[in-house]
Amino acid sequence: MSEAGGGRRERILGLLVGHGDGGFGTKRLCQVCAEATGTSGAGVMLMGDEVPHGSLCTSNKMSDLIEQLQYALGEGPCIDAYHQDRPVLEPDLDRPSTPRWLAFAPPAIEAGVRAVFGFPLQVGAVRLGALNLCCDRPGPLSDDQHADALVMAEVAAQAILVLQTGAPPDKLALALEAGADFHYVVHQAAGMVAAQLEVRVGQALVRLRAYAFGNDRPLTEVAKDVVDKKLRFDPPSGENDPVPLS
Amino acid sequence: MANTDVIGGSVPREALLARALVELADTLVADFDVVELLTRLADRCVEVLGVGAAGLMLAGPDGELRVMASSSEATRVLELFELQASEGPCLDCYRSGEPVMDQDLATSNSRWPRFAAETLAAGFHSVQSLPMRLRGTVIGALNLFQVGTGEMPGADIEGAQALADVATIAILQHRAALEAQVLNQQLQHALNSRIVIEQAKGMVAERSGLNMELAFSALRTYARNHNLRLVDVAREVIDGSLAPSVLRAKPSR
Repeated sequence: MSEAGGGRRERILGLLVGHGDGGFGTKRLCQVCAEATGTSGAGVMLMGDEVPHGSLCTSNKMSDLIEQLQYALGEGPCIDAYHQDRPVLEPDLDRPSTPRWLAFAPPAIEAGVRAVFGFPLQVGAVRLGALNLCCDRPGPLSDDQHADALVMAEVAAQAILVLQTGAPPDKLALALEAGADFHYVVHQAAGMVAAQLEVRVGQALVRLRAYAFGNDRPLTEVAKDVVDKKLRFDPPSGENDPVPLS
Repeated sequence: MANTDVIGGSVPREALLARALVELADTLVADFDVVELLTRLADRCVEVLGVGAAGLMLAGPDGELRVMASSSEATRVLELFELQASEGPCLDCYRSGEPVMDQDLATSNSRWPRFAAETLAAGFHSVQSLPMRLRGTVIGALNLFQVGTGEMPGADIEGAQALADVATIAILQHRAALEAQVLNQQLQHALNSRIVIEQAKGMVAERSGLNMELAFSALRTYARNHNLRLVDVAREVIDGSLAPSVLRAKPSR
């Protein structure tokens, strides 16, 4: 058992470092996550106390969408895996045994995702976020894939902490910032909307999310419109609903 | 000296040793404390293995040994003396990573004349030091003092080394966990600071009609002029205690 576990670890570490062409970064980390587990795509999501901070890396467009959706909607396998502290497996997103993620599932299926799996990222008692794996075909992970994913999640969590080592106390390590999407534009927009509506930023974030969801638009796109002054939440008419400005 | 059998009268020694090992391995408790762990280790050596006294030293971040725990005040003084005099079995054991012993401090032409004299004066005639080591890493040493002379029984030495090994693993795990915790806190703090700054940028941009870049430089300039941290200024903007209009005013100093 422990020997098999050691063999997996060695194989995964080999994939991580044996890439040849120089630096080890988060992009490579996510590619290895997908490669080592034999899935279509992989992403690493960092979580704060309760909410997602955003995506550290994704291996391809499909995994990028999975992360974006979860960030915008606040639900999905990664978020459940983080909160429940255990792997969360959905081998058939189209025909789930227990219906869940009512907002997340339809657009994910639309984009061709058929199965999603979330694994918590942790080092000891420290919880960092979750590893997201997705497949373009339905079906459960094999025992081998599952075991690989568990080791991969552990290696990824340690790699994140190693990359952060040596960064100034208040700063995110450059290696972690590169290729990450922490949705800064959403927070800029939240600051603007808070000023427009005279509410707290937390509330402004809720309004942004609600608008994006209600209008079936990606949260980041809505946020960008606010920052670009194409959308305001306090129409001069005094109406309560935000209006796009052309 | 008597083996003060505080754990149980008729319990076999192996069972006591096993119990002590489990006890030392139990590091998942919320209030894990290194000194407490090592004090327990020293106490169990005396209770279970019947040594006269035990003491523990751990290396600090600077690589220098420190006295961490002892089964008695007399042992603590001896260990402190060993450090002060820079000679003794614990130091040799820590440096070499190998067990070090002296079966008869009175007769041997001691490697540690001052330590030997002090130890004899405290009533101990032989000493055994065991490394606290995991693979290549030596983090300290366990000192066992005996009233009588002669070699410690092999089974006792093995038992003591097993206790020391378990404690070593517990300490190294605890250190790794602490390190991970600190790094994660830094990570979370960095991400949260950045979020607050982005939100403040948005608020300033909206209130002052600036673009994001100019809003950012207004925040940064204000922070510099007032000798404040950028994230603190951002937080004040967010919670409304600092009006964005103030940011553009010249500092009063």
